[in-house]
Amino acid sequence: MISASLYITACTTRNRILVRLRRLREPRYLIGAVVGVAYLYFAFSGRRGSARRRRGDDRAPFEVIGGWQTTGASLAGLTIFALAVLSWLLPMRAGLLEFSRAETVFLFPAPVSRRELLVHRLVRSQAGSLITSILMAIVFAPSAGFGRLRFALAMWALFVTVRVYFAAVALTRVQFASSRRSARLAAWLPVALFSAGTVVVVGAAARNLMGAPVTLADFWPRLSGALTSGLPGLVLWPFTAVLRPQFATDLASFVPAMAASLGVLAFVTAWMLANDSAFEIAAGEAAEQRAGEARARMPKVRVRQVGPPLALSGRVEWAVLWKNAMQTFRAVNLPLGRLIGPAIGLLTGLTGAAVGMSAGQNRGPAGFVAALGFAVTVMSLFIGPLVMRLDLRSDFEHLEVLKTWPIRPAELIRGEMAWPAAFVSVIAWAGILSTALFSGAAMPDIPFVDRWAYAVSALVAAPALIAAQYTVQNALALFFPAWIALGNQRTRGIDAMGQRLIMLAAILVALALFAVPGAIAGGIVWLVLHNLLGAVVFILAAVLFAGVVLTEVMVATELLGPVWERMDLTSVEKPE
Amino acid sequence: MSIAVEHFGRTYGSFKAVDDLSFEVAAGEIVGLCGPNGAGKTTTLRSLAGILLPTTGRIRVDGFDLATNPIEAKRRLAFMPDEPHLFEYLTVEEHLRLVARLYGVQDFDQRAAMLLEELELKGKERSLPAELSRGMRQKVVIACGLVRQASVLLFDEPLTGLDPLGIRRMRETIVARGRAGAAILVSSHLLHLVEEICTRVIIMDRGRKVADGTVAELASRADLAAAGSSLEQIFLHVTGKQLTTDK
Repeated sequence: MISASLYITACTTRNRILVRLRRLREPRYLIGAVVGVAYLYFAFSGRRGSARRRRGDDRAPFEVIGGWQTTGASLAGLTIFALAVLSWLLPMRAGLLEFSRAETVFLFPAPVSRRELLVHRLVRSQAGSLITSILMAIVFAPSAGFGRLRFALAMWALFVTVRVYFAAVALTRVQFASSRRSARLAAWLPVALFSAGTVVVVGAAARNLMGAPVTLADFWPRLSGALTSGLPGLVLWPFTAVLRPQFATDLASFVPAMAASLGVLAFVTAWMLANDSAFEIAAGEAAEQRAGEARARMPKVRVRQVGPPLALSGRVEWAVLWKNAMQTFRAVNLPLGRLIGPAIGLLTGLTGAAVGMSAGQNRGPAGFVAALGFAVTVMSLFIGPLVMRLDLRSDFEHLEVLKTWPIRPAELIRGEMAWPAAFVSVIAWAGILSTALFSGAAMPDIPFVDRWAYAVSALVAAPALIAAQYTVQNALALFFPAWIALGNQRTRGIDAMGQRLIMLAAILVALALFAVPGAIAGGIVWLVLHNLLGAVVFILAAVLFAGVVLTEVMVATELLGPVWERMDLTSVEKPE
Repeated sequence: MSIAVEHFGRTYGSFKAVDDLSFEVAAGEIVGLCGPNGAGKTTTLRSLAGILLPTTGRIRVDGFDLATNPIEAKRRLAFMPDEPHLFEYLTVEEHLRLVARLYGVQDFDQRAAMLLEELELKGKERSLPAELSRGMRQKVVIACGLVRQASVLLFDEPLTGLDPLGIRRMRETIVARGRAGAAILVSSHLLHLVEEICTRVIIMDRGRKVADGTVAELASRADLAAAGSSLEQIFLHVTGKQLTTDK
């Protein structure tokens, strides 16, 4: 079976490379590849340069910080231990058990054992683990030369161990319901060990940290000290062992560390293979989870009516907005009516808290909430349109339907943008309001009128800025449809990475160009009237800014119409 | 003519999927589009529906050019693809309502109720696509196509995924729409279906039209006389795919 697995892996890898090389004949991929390679080259050479500048070529940066090399691995090991415990409490995906449809069709009926199928998946996953390890070594390795090779090997062992561990947990969990008592007992054994281990580790950490006052400087060394010796050290040893090779600074320390890491991998693999009798059920669950991810997100019960039904006449934009809004509300399975009460309650609570903090001069917590609100605002303004892709970018999956609709393209584009822009705007507004409410207590020096003038101007300008970003994103999607990933999938390869970098740069440039006319108009208003109106002028400037930007959005969407007409199904490329 | 295709061609890179294809379909006609895999049937239908752009030639729907007046042309046609593409989070009823709004359907409630009954979707109005079988999803796509009074209907493998009763009802639906005056183009590999419901047949092979006419007309053609009188025999003859038992 291993030879068959190697054959499949080799053929798939070879053909994937050939496909990716072949697609370089197309300029869009060639340009992407050039940019991607350039990025990797500069990342590589940049790190090499910085490594040379450091004292001693082969030293890990952890070494520079006194004592970190010792504490780093143990604290990272503690994190891995926490994740390992969590995997028993929250079922996590076991990628190793996720057989592709072709693998299910060809290999499940084949005369091979369950254990061989597990080994097959292990072999198949090696190419991905190796490539990821190499890329991580290029970009993140703390030292150059052989240090980079050591880092790649260490990361490869870590990735494989984590994969195998999750598969072993998934297989063991299935045994909880086994009809055989011995199998059930065997399945509970690791749970008991992990529970005992948690008690030991948490107990040791608590005893050490509560014994004497802890300062910020000695917190990590003391925690690390408590966990590296005695029984806690023994419990955490396997989790620390898989991370020690990454922290090794020379070959002498790397070899034993790597041997220990490989030992852990061998143990976890043996544990997984020992539970192969649960393979069919676990693999079936994993396949079901993967194949039916969209279906799994669907509400199992009767579909709720979210708001009134779509009216049978009206603007196209509203119909498309309604369609996308349905997707959001159904995906999160939240009824609109039930959100109103909590929203009012939250707003009232926030206002009450802000007033209370102002009265009590409680600047610290108020400052924290105001800063949080500001962060939410900034994130929603600049990251929101990148993340919330419920516009043309996601609807390219339905291009075959959209192209048959007898509607003006500009209306379709505006309709597609409307819902996500409104959604992100509401989040931005919530952030702005929180900042304004709590900044009173946090920054009492800013006069009330000024503070709310800034807030209102931000409330006015935010939707325009968000709409502009959605216009840029959708325009790029229309001009370069093949560069847009369909659904949740992402096209892979260095060329695809280069494409994404180019797209990001294009978005930033286009957005700047979009905002400039509005900013100039708003700036002129501010220059002329700020002496007369004070901070209130910001509201006028924001209104003008929003007006100009929204006009640009309308014009841009009209201009994008012919681009939509020229685009057909073959422009959109399904990812691998 | 309801559908007029003139010198239509479509290439993918250097590959010619359809080459110099011309045909017409009149109102009330049901035309079968047959051909082996890769003949260019789906490309033709997708281009007629406005999904793919023609590389060469001209397509008109009820006199409206699909390239210069796409909105009016698309308003008049309904395309039912072989793969049911539905919005994951819209119910069956919401799909119909969305289509009705986009196409400006007047008597929606009455038409929707009738269609749901006709296509055996009654009771599934509030179901999401993921809760339906493939056949059911196919019926929803067909319901979306039929909920409006389209004068041109394009079916790509309309029987895929349907159960025997569904197949029978679908045949009746297509014939009824043809009798009501719609111009219908049906692409199918099921030659007996084409022979049974279609008034005319177009056979394509490697992107080109190799036969066009009624089954009787084709059977009486001098070059096909030796093939036989059934559509299957004619098909195998004109596409050069004789079965070994026929030799």
